[in-house]
Amino acid sequence: MSRALNAFIVACLTFIVYIVFTGSVSIYDLMTGFIVAVVTGVLFSNIALSNALKVIDPRRWYILVRYAIRYFIIDETLAHVDVIKRILHPRVPVNPAIVKVPYYAETDYAKTCIACSITNTPGTVVVEIDENERVFYIHWIDAKTLEPEKAREFISKVFEEYSKKIFD
Amino acid sequence: MLDVIELALRIIGLGLIVLGGFASLISAIGFHRFKNFYLRLHAATIGTIWGCVYPLTGASLLSITLSELGTYRWFIAGASLVAAIIILILAPAGSHAIARGVHKAKIARVQPCIADLLDKDLCG
Repeated sequence: MSRALNAFIVACLTFIVYIVFTGSVSIYDLMTGFIVAVVTGVLFSNIALSNALKVIDPRRWYILVRYAIRYFIIDETLAHVDVIKRILHPRVPVNPAIVKVPYYAETDYAKTCIACSITNTPGTVVVEIDENERVFYIHWIDAKTLEPEKAREFISKVFEEYSKKIFD
Repeated sequence: MLDVIELALRIIGLGLIVLGGFASLISAIGFHRFKNFYLRLHAATIGTIWGCVYPLTGASLLSITLSELGTYRWFIAGASLVAAIIILILAPAGSHAIARGVHKAKIARVQPCIADLLDKDLCG
């Protein structure tokens, strides 16, 4: 039963992405979209999802949209302006270090979301993840501190709050 | 009312595309000014997010307003939006894979270096 529900939800998401990508609602596109969605849904049902009820929870989608808006307008802009200043500065001031940053998320999706958010902001790149110690090793262009907890406040605290609410 | 929305979409779309051109140029300059592998990764991130994801989103918004394209504008808008989201998900995976591979193989050193908590030998 749960497998059928997983397959149905994966198929729905695939169908929406397919129709947005083609940008048309002709019979031909709807038919090919339906076939692709069913095949993808059956193949990836249990790989992509473990708890289908999380996907149909509208609160998680609402937080995802809020996170996306905040991330693209505030976090990305601050990080880009900081690194662009460093590039255009005559002396190219950098202060790099590989620091440890702990995380408290549970699911793989939440960890991936945090790591991608960190890597997508210029100035921080996730180099390694240690799942036993539950830490990311992050190359940071301006290492203000080497303390793991303080570094977390600077780098990943906001991302983690939202990711935990969306995926955990 | 529709005219105002169309004008807003057009201005935001053009603004994002101009921002993309500017960011790509800065990213290219950064590649030359940073002298180390890991620092260049940060310049590359500017090229993918502001230089790639934002202008694709802008192209998507802009093409919605171009009524002379007919139904093809929805194709351009949808394809640009999906491409932007896919780049947003895949680009960090690529950066991370390169950084991890280089650090594991000990090819590049972290230079200049405050500390390297993952492997002390590669510092400095």
